Amino acid sequence: MREPEADKWEVQLRKGCLELAILASLWNGKLYGLEILRRLENDSDLIVSEGTVYPLLSRLKTLGLLKSEWVVSDSGHPRKYYALTAAGKQRAAEMAETWTRFSSSISALLAPLTKGPR
Amino acid sequence: MTDDAQRKIDDYLAKLRRSLRGLKEEDVHEVIAELRSHIVDKAREQNLDAVLADLGAPEELAAQYAAESLFTRAEVSRTPWSILKSLFRWASLSVAGFFVLMGSLLGYFSGVVLILCGYLKLVHPQTAGVWTARDANGDLQISVRLGFGSPPPGAHEILGWWIVPLGILVGFSLVMLTTRFALWCARRYRSSRALPRA
Repeated sequence: MREPEADKWEVQLRKGCLELAILASLWNGKLYGLEILRRLENDSDLIVSEGTVYPLLSRLKTLGLLKSEWVVSDSGHPRKYYALTAAGKQRAAEMAETWTRFSSSISALLAPLTKGPR
Repeated sequence: MTDDAQRKIDDYLAKLRRSLRGLKEEDVHEVIAELRSHIVDKAREQNLDAVLADLGAPEELAAQYAAESLFTRAEVSRTPWSILKSLFRWASLSVAGFFVLMGSLLGYFSGVVLILCGYLKLVHPQTAGVWTARDANGDLQISVRLGFGSPPPGAHEILGWWIVPLGILVGFSLVMLTTRFALWCARRYRSSRALPRA
């Protein structure tokens, strides 16, 4: 059984990453909601719930980081595609840089905890 | 897709629509259309019940939407008007929202009255300003008067022309502080609600 405090910390950490993960998934071009979810599931260990991602997508759009358009698929089924705006691209790049700097600086500190005998 | 499946989807989305009452109508429309597209897409490969279960209960999903969207426009524009609009929606959803709305209304109202008083002193130099008077019980009462009508007998003004710079300065500070207070409450609300299920 894990301590509730540890769980809470992990939840906050995941939540902090999710915004960056969504922006990153759109770096190479537009995707619709389900594709973003699949990308997050396949390319990361982030376990994301759909009930979290869709509301966050709409928030990122209102913040001006994403734009959206409806595209009708070949089967005649409309899908809402998201793409990064210029502000979104800039924000994603800044977040990625901060993330990389932060994780490399803390990894050195954490190395003895994860490798050494418990 | 069978009629039965179609009905299940419509049921789910109707429940979601009812729970999304705090959001703007155009946003609700967009959300429903997007989720319908998601459900139809995913249900081609999976059992419909599992697809709906993955989205979570409609009420829970609506709460996530409210937490993520209610204050986003207000965070971008930071105008008292947009903040109050968001607060009215929040107040319709929760008791906490109601109290934050009351506090913010009080803050904005007091701020606006002080600013008005500062400006109106220039128009009504004899009657506008901060006045003190004794009521029937002899208690001291302070009132901010905008100068329409004469002050009660026995009252006297305490700030004089100082109300012009002070009223405007304190009034604008109060409006700014209220904005920051409301957005701070909104952030707390968002971080308490928007926790992803692991």
